[in-house]
Amino acid sequence: MWKREAKGIVFTFHLAGINNQNFLMRDDQTGTYWQQISGRAIAGPLAGTQLEAVHSDELTFAAWRSEAPDGTVLKPVSGDAAHYEAKDWDVRMASVPTVIDFPSTGIPSRELMLGVEAFGASRAYPVERILAEKLAEDRVGSEPVLVVVGADGKSMRVFRARLRGGEAAPEYYRKLETTQARSAHMPLFMDAATGSEWAFDGCAVSGKLAGQCLQPVPALKDYWFDWRNYHPDTTVYHR
Amino acid sequence: MPFSGARRLNLALVAALALASIACFAYPLYVIWPFRYQGPRELAAALFVLRIGPWASVVCALVCAGLAAYAWPQTRGWMRRGVLLACAALAVAGAWLARFNLYEQLMFHPIRNVQAQAGGSAHVDADDMVLAVKVDQASRAYPIREIAYHHVVNDTLAGEPIVATY
Repeated sequence: MWKREAKGIVFTFHLAGINNQNFLMRDDQTGTYWQQISGRAIAGPLAGTQLEAVHSDELTFAAWRSEAPDGTVLKPVSGDAAHYEAKDWDVRMASVPTVIDFPSTGIPSRELMLGVEAFGASRAYPVERILAEKLAEDRVGSEPVLVVVGADGKSMRVFRARLRGGEAAPEYYRKLETTQARSAHMPLFMDAATGSEWAFDGCAVSGKLAGQCLQPVPALKDYWFDWRNYHPDTTVYHR
Repeated sequence: MPFSGARRLNLALVAALALASIACFAYPLYVIWPFRYQGPRELAAALFVLRIGPWASVVCALVCAGLAAYAWPQTRGWMRRGVLLACAALAVAGAWLARFNLYEQLMFHPIRNVQAQAGGSAHVDADDMVLAVKVDQASRAYPIREIAYHHVVNDTLAGEPIVATY
């Protein structure tokens, strides 16, 4: 997700090509070509320009509704709705051939990763493993992070595990095992240092730190081949 | 009738211009193909051709047609005239095709004007994934099954121009 404005120009983008299965956008205003995954202009008058990232989360509709009851949803485009992807479209995508592979990594090209590029480093989290662990404490570069799975067992978020202004990162524990996202403020995990309870949105809902929120870290769900292609120095969680 | 060196050169130029005009369309199409590895240099070259193609192909077609017309009265024999005609037709076809982008005009359907609805009215399954964004106090969800088809959604949320991609 990008801010579609740079150098005082508001862009209208369309899909104009494919670069090793990551698409290229072209803007109507200048004819510049932009890479989807990086938001960087790779050819044309604005080559080298970087779009500003806008934080987004990939969540289940239920999880999003519980956090944003007044939020709005993209309406299906009449005429196109019949062509929308089937519910199991990701299963079909898993068998689509790739043109770039990294066999030396031992990771299948279409393995889904939650990719994090922050604090001067890149880190890939195998989605299957994260969904099984539900709460992962790790580091990106030298910074402690927390990868959290929502109560629905599908939504994921990454937070900077250090509290604002804090020197040390407390240990966190998964608190509840539930498949029901009853409310956005349901406590999901707690920290050992203060015993405060934290919800999936990264904010403490009880305890000494109630009201404080962890800093969200941008994360992108992507196939391994694509993530690795654009993040050659990436490391992989538990590899 | 002898085929002089000048006429040979003219015919070679006509053929080269026809090929150049067709290349303005065909080369980017060949390189930017979904299931083919693209090296960085060939991609850069294809994007360059894609950008200059619409006018470069017209120049090629005009010069090609002009040279063919110039050579026509001195050209004898249906075969030689046929080659001239075919080259000119190819050059014009290249100039027309270079205006066409398979991805932009045929394969994909980005959203330029977003229509949004209240979350409670949306027919989205509870366990379907959405791309969620919040700008100031405004929240919006883009169902993955929808944007996996459109790929690019040009939107404005709380006055901020944003683009959702998938």
